[in-house]
Amino acid sequence: MNNAATSYPKAPGVVDKVSESLSCIPFHPGRSGSKADDPLDRCRILLAEMLGVNDKERIVLTVNSTYALNFATLGFPFHKKDAIITSAAEHNSVLRPLHHLMRSKDLHLEIIPVDTEGRIIQSEYYEKLELLKPRMVVLNHASNVTGAIADVKPLFEAARDMGAVTLLDASQSLGCISFTAESLHADMVAFTGHKSLLGPPGTGGLYVNKNVELEPVIVGGTGIRSDLLFQPEDMPTKLEAGTPSLPAFSGLAAALEWKRDHQGDYTGSNDLVNILEEGIQKIAGITLIKANHPKTPVLSFTMQNWSVEEAAYILQESFGIICRSGLHCAPLIHKNIGTSPYGTVRFSLSAFNTEEEITYVLYALRKLTA
Amino acid sequence: MNYTTKKVEDCFDGSRIFEYQFDFTIDSAFIKELGTLGKLEYFKDFPRPFFRIITVKGSQFKGVEGEKSFKAIFTRSDLEKGKEDLENKLECLM
Repeated sequence: MNNAATSYPKAPGVVDKVSESLSCIPFHPGRSGSKADDPLDRCRILLAEMLGVNDKERIVLTVNSTYALNFATLGFPFHKKDAIITSAAEHNSVLRPLHHLMRSKDLHLEIIPVDTEGRIIQSEYYEKLELLKPRMVVLNHASNVTGAIADVKPLFEAARDMGAVTLLDASQSLGCISFTAESLHADMVAFTGHKSLLGPPGTGGLYVNKNVELEPVIVGGTGIRSDLLFQPEDMPTKLEAGTPSLPAFSGLAAALEWKRDHQGDYTGSNDLVNILEEGIQKIAGITLIKANHPKTPVLSFTMQNWSVEEAAYILQESFGIICRSGLHCAPLIHKNIGTSPYGTVRFSLSAFNTEEEITYVLYALRKLTA
Repeated sequence: MNYTTKKVEDCFDGSRIFEYQFDFTIDSAFIKELGTLGKLEYFKDFPRPFFRIITVKGSQFKGVEGEKSFKAIFTRSDLEKGKEDLENKLECLM
């Protein structure tokens, strides 16, 4: 019940592909073998399809969403005193790079509060957008604490109208809901392979619109054009230094193919999430942090008689139910949703949870509150 | 019988959490002895019984019967003395 942290199990075929890749003689993508054998190229093609992007070379492959978000922010050509707008729902993989930029480049960082469901307060957003005319707006597509999916389309459209570059943190949403970069007016989309995409850890990426020029944050070996002493300028090589994990991306390619062939409703509107939510609401002593649809299959709550840390510990160690507790690396949202300072217990489902598991989870919660 | 101690981090800066790991399995007799350090709450009806001991200074020791470790969370004012008292108790139990 911790799929928002990392999905388990992975999509069918992922483990086999990772293992197969580790057993094969290594090759260097782009220098040997056909493109058809290249898991990196396969991932780019499938991700470009998923994001509605014409040019697959605009998909930069990274080790995770954190790297993608760092590349998108630390590599952006900000000037001193530039403004950035973001929200209180953001993960530390957004907040920390932005705070680092605030300090190192003397930027103005404006954090818009969210409501009790974790959605940005739009009136404040539009007010600050008008006032600050930011260089960049960075928003979380879906909260990893409440599951609330933000209606980013009008927010990003307005940001672009003001001349801002828009960066979408799709860590919790890509693979869970269907969208394209352009339909949301997102100039950049950061994502991870190991959550709703059901791939292995060590995979992620960043889509970069051709109108956005980023400087590389990490430079080094590219396996090609080694005679150049500077990082090559062509995308995606410009932003991809070092040896990628071919086994991990082989696994991700398998996951993306499975996803493409098994499109369905993986959001919080599916039956299992509803059963769990309704069941929790009937248990006295539990306060559910309710977010209305649309949302991902994430449920956060607190308990009257147990600290969040204790509740998660007992659920795991006594009942064998893996979940997560605390701030979930999103420290600011809790002040807005009423769960400060200790955070919440969080359940996060995947496509593979079963009704039996939900029944058992509810049984465990009833035992804890008895 | 031996134990080792490992500091554990959590969401919050300045954690005072330690994990005590043993080369034996914690049983009910061990839990009851440990319980003399404070108020023992023993939830035997959980699939794997859970225990929590709260000392007078508010430090907590908690774990699951059948495991080889438990967690100790010390309050700021009790970190040194509370840890010392716990480890003295563990030495007696070894």
